[in-house]
Amino acid sequence: MGAEKRTHGENGSGPGYALCFAALAAALVVLAALNLAVGSVSIAPADILLSLGGGDVSDTVYSILWQIRMPRALAALILGGALGLAGYLLQTFFHNPIAGPFVLGISSGAKLTVALLLVFLLGRGVRVGSWGMIAAAFAGACIATGFVLLMSGRVDSMAMLIVSGVMIGYICSAVTDLVVTFAQDADIVNLHNWSRGSFSGITWENVAVMAAITAAAFAAALWLAKPVDAYRMGESYAESVGVNVRLLRLGLVLLSSLLAACITAFAGPVSFVGIAVPHLVKGLFRTAKPLVMVPACFLGGAVFCLLCDLLARTLFAPTELSISTVTAVFGAPVVIAVMLRRGREKER
Amino acid sequence: MTAYPIRTRQLTAGYRGTPVLRDVTVEIPRGGIVTLIGPNGAGKSTLLHSIAGQLRPMAGCVVLEERDLAEVSRGELARRMAVVFTDRARAELMTCEDVVAGGRYPYTGRFGRLSEQDWSIMRESMEITRVTDIADRSYNRVSDGQRQRVLLARALCQQPEVILLDEPVTYLDIRYKLEFLSALRRLVAERGMTVVMSLHELELARRVSDRVLCVKNGAAERYGTPEEIFEDDYIRSLFDMDREALDGTLRDRLW
Repeated sequence: MGAEKRTHGENGSGPGYALCFAALAAALVVLAALNLAVGSVSIAPADILLSLGGGDVSDTVYSILWQIRMPRALAALILGGALGLAGYLLQTFFHNPIAGPFVLGISSGAKLTVALLLVFLLGRGVRVGSWGMIAAAFAGACIATGFVLLMSGRVDSMAMLIVSGVMIGYICSAVTDLVVTFAQDADIVNLHNWSRGSFSGITWENVAVMAAITAAAFAAALWLAKPVDAYRMGESYAESVGVNVRLLRLGLVLLSSLLAACITAFAGPVSFVGIAVPHLVKGLFRTAKPLVMVPACFLGGAVFCLLCDLLARTLFAPTELSISTVTAVFGAPVVIAVMLRRGREKER
Repeated sequence: MTAYPIRTRQLTAGYRGTPVLRDVTVEIPRGGIVTLIGPNGAGKSTLLHSIAGQLRPMAGCVVLEERDLAEVSRGELARRMAVVFTDRARAELMTCEDVVAGGRYPYTGRFGRLSEQDWSIMRESMEITRVTDIADRSYNRVSDGQRQRVLLARALCQQPEVILLDEPVTYLDIRYKLEFLSALRRLVAERGMTVVMSLHELELARRVSDRVLCVKNGAAERYGTPEEIFEDDYIRSLFDMDREALDGTLRDRLW
């Protein structure tokens, strides 16, 4: 009967998954190309290809492409993927469909420590490198995550967990705003932009660092795919087939904090991508298998952020929107839809 | 091989520093069904969770094949012992077959890829618990009774020597109750499997068990063959059913 067929359909990545991955990859390429081509100065696709191939283009085109748009598009791609992955890991960890680095206050915690570090060091004329930013952001992310974990030990309900996360986020944001407001300095203008969330002003050095960290986290997430698969049925079910649940939970928390820190250090807090992307991806692939979800959430997050950044840059050009303004418009309805659907399932 | 794959020695266990079980010493014989009976809250689940290694003893120990359970690795434990407890399973976008496949976890490689052998063991387990026809249905959409049978298939996929079941037939109708228990008897007979389970259905416990362990107030009060345990007065006292408190006609029908 059907068992033989299923063996091949589900054992590997069946034709359905391959098609979905292909669609995401195609969307990624198209959006990346648009991000490079569209802007105050349009660049012809032919010129982009020429320049990518090492050919000669005019100096203006060359510098716009290689110093501004390319690093920015790569940042949107890498950090977007990291956001999707961080959201997936947090949702898995908390068994909570509306968990994400932003709602749980982890991004805000990272933002606070980065702001403190910047204001402190910039005031003394010291420049902060990528690694310093990430270290500060990671510390902040871990502190915020620690708070959320403390709360989750005390509150059972998902809603309360989210509320406490949002409150932590507000406290951290308030302190950050306070710090930024009173630190009158030329560099603070940058800080202000960054604290609202933006992919602008990314350097190649930034890109290299974020790529290294995200690649490492991605590999680690894939490596954890098997225990995560057992864990998604619940702690005791995972334990009963031999998963070291405590170690796995620690791994998930550290990985998602690292990803959230990486994003926040370079782009500031970006809302809703972490929640929305895993749901959109699950809906597309009709599965929640970690081995599929990890790469799919990465691709989905990259596509989502490339689209949002394109809109943020071009919608009201030359005025640029903060990235969260755009991601919220697309992401928040997804969250509402998820909550409504869960409500219906409970009633049944 | 020892005659007793599982033993507890002066086992004291509980939650948050408060012992629920005190000083329990029992020996579970190989290749048979031991049923735990007793009132709600007596410590049956606590005993099962301790034997499963999911609850660390506060004192004493659980011995699996002559070794302290604390020294047995997680992987080995999962290959020797399978459990079906009452914790509600989350199974977002999982088919019944996906849930069953989870039982192969201790045997698959780094990325959990299922081999032909894994698939044939899964098919066999699903045949035994009669869930083959719902393999492709969403786990969240099948009935509670079907879920219990799916979870048993998952446990069988671990190819365990010992299987622990916490109230495995609660949601089953009488036909599936009998079918489930006779499947267990068959596994015991054919594979020499050792089953430890808790049951609230006393009549079924009497019929299916090789031995019955009566748990009351955190102690193993009596342990013996069904004939020894199921005598009128003892069961009455186990469940604190004094004659006066029960309506006469109902009382006479109980035991």
